[in-house]
Amino acid sequence: MNDEPKKIRGIDLLKVFFRALLIQASWSFDLLQSMGFAYAMLPVLRKLYPDKAEFASRLNLHTEYFNTQPYLASFILGAAVKMEEDRAFGRNDNVDSAEMKSALMAPLGAVGDGFFWAALKPFAATIAVSLLIVGVWWAPLLYLLLYNVWHVGLRINLLFLGYRSGGDAVALIERHNFSKLTRLFKASSLSVLGGMLGTLTAWRPEFRLTVPLSGPLTILFGAAFTLVLIEALRRGGSPIKLMLGLAAVCLALAYAGVP
Amino acid sequence: MIFFDAHTLSSLVLIAVIGGVLGLDRTAAGQFMISQPIVAGPIIGWILGDATVGLIIGALLELIWVMDMPIGTFVPADSTAVTVSSTAIAVLGGAGEPVLPVIGFSILLTVGMVPITTVAEHRSRKWMSKLADMAIAAPGEVVGQRLARAHLSGLVVFFLKSFIVYLVLLPLGLAAIVLFRQMPDTIHRAMELFVKFLPLVGVAAVVRKLSIRTADRFLLAGIVAAAILSMAFHVPAVFITAVTVGLGWIGVRYGER
Repeated sequence: MNDEPKKIRGIDLLKVFFRALLIQASWSFDLLQSMGFAYAMLPVLRKLYPDKAEFASRLNLHTEYFNTQPYLASFILGAAVKMEEDRAFGRNDNVDSAEMKSALMAPLGAVGDGFFWAALKPFAATIAVSLLIVGVWWAPLLYLLLYNVWHVGLRINLLFLGYRSGGDAVALIERHNFSKLTRLFKASSLSVLGGMLGTLTAWRPEFRLTVPLSGPLTILFGAAFTLVLIEALRRGGSPIKLMLGLAAVCLALAYAGVP
Repeated sequence: MIFFDAHTLSSLVLIAVIGGVLGLDRTAAGQFMISQPIVAGPIIGWILGDATVGLIIGALLELIWVMDMPIGTFVPADSTAVTVSSTAIAVLGGAGEPVLPVIGFSILLTVGMVPITTVAEHRSRKWMSKLADMAIAAPGEVVGQRLARAHLSGLVVFFLKSFIVYLVLLPLGLAAIVLFRQMPDTIHRAMELFVKFLPLVGVAAVVRKLSIRTADRFLLAGIVAAAILSMAFHVPAVFITAVTVGLGWIGVRYGER
């Protein structure tokens, strides 16, 4: 009786979800997320393979090289759970989860990096900073809410979608149009940043530039200075170099008597 | 020395612990973004009794590194360490001083620490490779337990890395801020000016990565719309932020047809 595999239920997938939150706990330059992937699969493999030798053999297979965007790893985990379940119940003896993982991890990594790191994160950050800078003290909470509604929601959704579809990337693309969302978030971030510059005179005194100019000219000065900084970054500057240079300029201005 | 009294020392250890826990969110656990400057700054400021300083530092630093992305094996600058350190140094070391110059100096000081935190990050991640040997060397029946233990011990490595960095750098930062407080008024004014330029550096850093154009059309549309709404119609800035979000959204939905 103990040697029979047990069916995977929603609660098992939730266990995988919580473990997937730690997928990068042992992130190193050569192993990347390999151990994290196997760690997330552990409760499912224990349930599917009561035979200890077979369990160890399947677990070792999941310690192979793995690296993708950590949130979208949920989709691949869901698909791997489905494949292991099919194998354990004899529905498909020739499952090759390694092939599925290597086929999906690079494209999902690119999609996830583009959406979460390059679009959603700056979108939430620009909104929160633009509010905080005019005195909205709860802006950090809004930042966490804006980001995590998408982050946690998609992580759970993608795990179940991966399980149901067995790793069908077409189902993923049909369900979530990441490229369109990425464009929307990036464009909105840019216009929010523009809005921040356009309301420069309404910033709290801690942040506001004190230049002896009228309101519109202060905005014009701020916008023009920002464009110069963007151009400097484009020509090979880094934020750290820019900050150090700016500190030197501020010292020179202070010694020149500029208030 | 005033910065090494019992209260300050216990505060430093507390901040090293909290900073270590917040640092786990950067890579190892969850990535819910509580490690981001705009969240970590107020948390540290609130713990030390001055959330306002944390909010200011969080707002100043958030945009500067938000586009530094952990893609592949690239390890971004540790903006959490910069935020936690500069907030702790500004709150603990700036008692009685005008807040902006102290904040400016703390940020400048901790930005100089970025190469040190990067080296610590690389060392700890290289060391982490040894964890796999612990798991793989286990006999068949306990391989699951050994793998889980080896994997989770990575959390300890990540925590200790940050904890040690804070324990070393925070006292040095506090010593430096005591020296700063004795510097001429001109340098204090320079640091205040530096703080007021930092939001523009943040905006520039994000635009640089989001658009291939310096004068991006969405950026310019946002500037013009916000300036008109705030100066001609006196619309509150919070409402203007909502309008600019919609502006970008509409621009993509209808502009790309």
